[in-house]
Order: sequence, then structure tokens, then C-alpha cells
Amino acid sequence: MRASITRGPILEILILIVILAIIPLALMGNAYYELLAATVVLFSSMVVAWNIIGGYAGQLDLGAYAYMGVGGIVTAELWMKAGIPPLLGIFVGGAVSALIAILIGIPTFRFGIKEVWYALLTAALVVIFNNISRLLMGPFDYYLPPTTGFVYLKFNSYVIVYAIAASFLIIAFLVNFFVERSKMGYYFKAIREDELAAEMVGIDTRRYKLYALLLYSFLLGVMGYIYIVIAASYSYRIFDSSASLSIAIMGIIGGLGSVEGGIISSMVLRSLGEYFRSTFGSSLPGLDLLLYGAVLILIGIFQPEGISSLINKLLKRKG
Amino acid sequence: MISPSLVLQNTIDGVFLGLFYSLVAMGLALIFGVMDIINFAHGDLLMLAAYFVWLTSADLSVDPTVTALLLVPLFFLIGLSIHYSMIQPVLGKEPLIQIAVTVGLGLILQNIALAIFKAEPKAVAYSLFSFSYSIGPITLYASKLFIAVVSIVTLYVLNLFLNRTFLGLAMKSTADNREVAQLMGINAKRLYALTFGLGTALIALSASLWMTFGQVQPYLGTSFSLISWVIVAMGGLGGVTGVLYSGIIVGLAESLGSLFLTPSARMAVVYIVFFLVLWFRPRGLFGRR
Repeated sequence: MRASITRGPILEILILIVILAIIPLALMGNAYYELLAATVVLFSSMVVAWNIIGGYAGQLDLGAYAYMGVGGIVTAELWMKAGIPPLLGIFVGGAVSALIAILIGIPTFRFGIKEVWYALLTAALVVIFNNISRLLMGPFDYYLPPTTGFVYLKFNSYVIVYAIAASFLIIAFLVNFFVERSKMGYYFKAIREDELAAEMVGIDTRRYKLYALLLYSFLLGVMGYIYIVIAASYSYRIFDSSASLSIAIMGIIGGLGSVEGGIISSMVLRSLGEYFRSTFGSSLPGLDLLLYGAVLILIGIFQPEGISSLINKLLKRKG
Repeated sequence: MISPSLVLQNTIDGVFLGLFYSLVAMGLALIFGVMDIINFAHGDLLMLAAYFVWLTSADLSVDPTVTALLLVPLFFLIGLSIHYSMIQPVLGKEPLIQIAVTVGLGLILQNIALAIFKAEPKAVAYSLFSFSYSIGPITLYASKLFIAVVSIVTLYVLNLFLNRTFLGLAMKSTADNREVAQLMGINAKRLYALTFGLGTALIALSASLWMTFGQVQPYLGTSFSLISWVIVAMGGLGGVTGVLYSGIIVGLAESLGSLFLTPSARMAVVYIVFFLVLWFRPRGLFGRR
């Protein structure tokens, strides 16, 4: 099922870095576009992180913003309440997020919750976090201090915010790269293809599903603070069900287990979505989501392996 | 301090709400049980039907409950067309593909509704049941009592249908064991279409009941989808009674949660119950495969 678009992994990473470096040049210093580019690239890195649990290990996780929100809020609160600079704080945020994910993951995998029930459980998790954080934080927006500087990962220029988002994308890509080529990656794929058979050949499926969840939630937890920096404020609304769903949607459209497919689908569709939102946002709100919906149905019925295999087919036909 | 009469009031409201939730979830339980299709657009179909109720009852100035006569057959047909265009191609495919297609359908319905009706909630100005009784400190809203009664009667009729008619028994036996049912000569293709149609028609009935006191906005479906799935997870394939009891549990969790915590945290209570059920009774409270 898995398909890679280009053969050489090192070449892929170089291409990614070059593309990511060209984007800000093409935006010609327009701060609004730079902010949008940072949003799209951060979204893309979330999709790439999702690929570990959803694409490789085959667990349909719909809770991306739960883990991301926890990491982001912990980092921001540590800075504002305890003075711990976010450069350090993001790792604490990631660790807290991973810890929560593991605490939930242990009973979940212990009791063999999978497929649709795992999807529902993680979707419900976002709503639980949303409601609880609203109880704890109230309905208010919290603004980050105006201080800028490297240790705060906050800058006056959006190009640097974009650069941080881009480096997250490269890190998430590299984590995927190493996972895929490790023993763990093969175990993940065995679990995805047939969990029972994986268990029969001696894979501790519970443990490896937890590893996938751990990597995924830690990466998202670390990214959370940058999400808050881009949004400039945070509230309980960071725990957003439909946004979490859209992460999984991009992973599915891209093709399960295909990092390249996930990057392409999330960048193209999210950019198109942002374009629709800015052009038709007042007359036709939701046109971007309408597009996601239509693409999902078409992919589901005609191209269940996602766009990566579609691109491969086209490349093969030409070659 | 929470007074006992307030607890009683919320318990009654919770049971009424729960009966209604059972009716909403019943269509999903049928579709999932018989066809093994994971439908994430269930709540969005309810949202669509609720807009139809709002349109017809406002334009023809009829009571929302009367619109069911028109909408139930209409939604049976809508269900059939969705089945043939989107569900049939993904029958028997991986859960993920089914989720992708039905999430896609849900997104399309939500955003068409958003484009046409905008985000402001719509409600029917008046229904036959917009009055209430007071018994001591307890207030009984006629609309909530009415939807509870209609829900329970419908579920009873559905139970008779599943146990006494050939078609109903065919559905039940397919849910029980697909292969054997097909070996016994049940035409699965036609049965699946009828099941999806019936499940969607039930949604239209729920929508006309909902509009006697509720509001509709484009995202109404999201919470109904999740709640319906929670009820199916708890009630499992334990038939109509499993869905009924699970619906009441969810209704009570929501109603008492909003009393003892705050209304904005009521869904957290429902989903925490859902987590506990999945963890400790993975086969559901009332039996699931």
C-alpha cells in the first residue's frame, strides 16, 4: 500500500528544504502572506506527525488539537506564571502532552479499543479537554507578553515564525524517516495491516501502539506553542474538534503512510482553503471545508490509497 | 446549594432527553449493525432534516410535528440515493475509507447549510406543544414530554417490526451473522438499501421532534453524531432495548452534569462516561460483537 514518490530519501529532504526556503522569497515580504505560509506549514507538520500514529500504526486518531493544545498552553503558562522561557518550555509542553496521551493510551490499548471506537474516543477527548479547560480558564482569551527574543520563540518578523514552523516540518519529516526505517516502523505497519497477525508473530502490539502515540503526541505538544504564537492568543477554543478532524483528513487524502502525500495534500488544500476563505469568506463561508468534503468523497470512492499512489501511477505512465 | 427538587427536575429532563437521543441513535445502530457501515454523517442528516422542518413549518405555517408526514418518506428517498451513490461503493471497505466518505458527506452538508442559511440558529416560532405544566416545584414542558412519548412509541413499533416482520427479521439476522443470513437467501443488496433508507427516515422523524423546542444551525450535526455513536458504543448491538437504556444514561449524564458542574461542561461528563464504558465494558453495557 505504501508508496514513495521519489526514491532517494536524502533527495526528498533536500527538495523539501529548498521548497521551504523558496516560499518566503516568493512572498516578497508581505507580512500577511508570511503569516499564512507559517500557518500552512505548521498545519503540514501536524499532518506529518499524525502520519506516525495514523499512517504507519493505522490508528485513526482524531485528537490532534487535544495534544497540541495541552503542549501549547503548558508552554505559555510556564512562561507567564513561572518565567520559564518557551525555548525550554516547549519540551516540557511536549512531555506533558505525551504523558497525558500515554495515561489515556494505556487503558485504551489494554482493552483493545481500535478502529471506529479509537476514532470516537480521541474525538471525544478533544471535547473533554475543551470543556475542562473552559472550566479552569474561563471563556477568556489569554495574550502572550509582547516580549520578543529567541528564548521566547517570539519575533517581530513573521519570516522567522515561518522558519520555525518550517523547521518543525523538517524535524517531523526526519522523525518519520527514522521511524519508517527502524524495526519499530515495520512493527507499526504490521499492526496497521493486520493487528491479530502482528500479535501472532510476537509483536507486542500494545507497546508499539503506545510508542506511536508517544512520538505523535510529543511532536504535537512541542508544536502547540508556535500555534499560539501565530494566533497571538489562546483560550479553551484551541481544543477544536473539526480542526483535529481536518488533520486526519489530510493524512487520508495524502495516503496512509506517505509523508510526501500528506505534505502535498495539506499544503495544497490548506492554501486553497485559505485562498477561498480570504476571497469568498464573506459571501460563501465554508467553501474551503466544502472542498475538503468533496475531495474526501472522491478519494474514498475512487482512490482509497490517497493521492500519493495517484501521483505514482501518473509518473509511471509517463516513465 | 442544589435543592432536591432541582435534582428531580433535571433527572426528569434527562430521561426525556435520553429517550429522544435513543431515537436519534436508533437509525445509526440499525445502519451500523446491519450493514457494518461507519456513518459519521448521521448527525448532519439530522441537521439537514431540521432545516427542512424549519422551512416547511415556516412557509406552510404548519406545526413542526406535522412536517414528519412529509419528511419521513422524503428522507427515506434521500437515504436511498445517498446509499446508492456513496455507501454502496465503500461497503466492506476498511473503516477508514468509510469514515472518509461519510465525513466528506457531513462536511458538504454542513457547509451547504452554512452558505444557504448562514450561521445564526433558526427556530420554529411556535408549536402545538409550547406550553408547560407545573406540579409543585417541577415544571413539565409539553414539548419534551411529547418527544419522549413519540420516541418511546416509535422504538416500540420498531422493536415489533424487527421481531415480527420478515424484513425486520432479515435485518436482525444479518446484524447477527451476515454470512449465514445470506446463505439463508436474504438479498443483502436490497436489504442494505432499505436499512439505510429506514435509518435516514428515522432521522427525519427525530428532526421534526427536535424542532418543537430546539434550534438548528449548520454545526448541529457534529454533537448529534458523536452522541449517537456514544449510545451505539454503549448499547452495542443489544437491539432496541440496549439503545434505549444507553440513550437514557447519556441524557441523564448530560442533564445532571450541567446541574452539578456547569452547562458548558455537560458534554465532558457524557464523554467521560463514554471513556469509562469503553475501557471497562469494551463490549458495551448491553452486549456488542
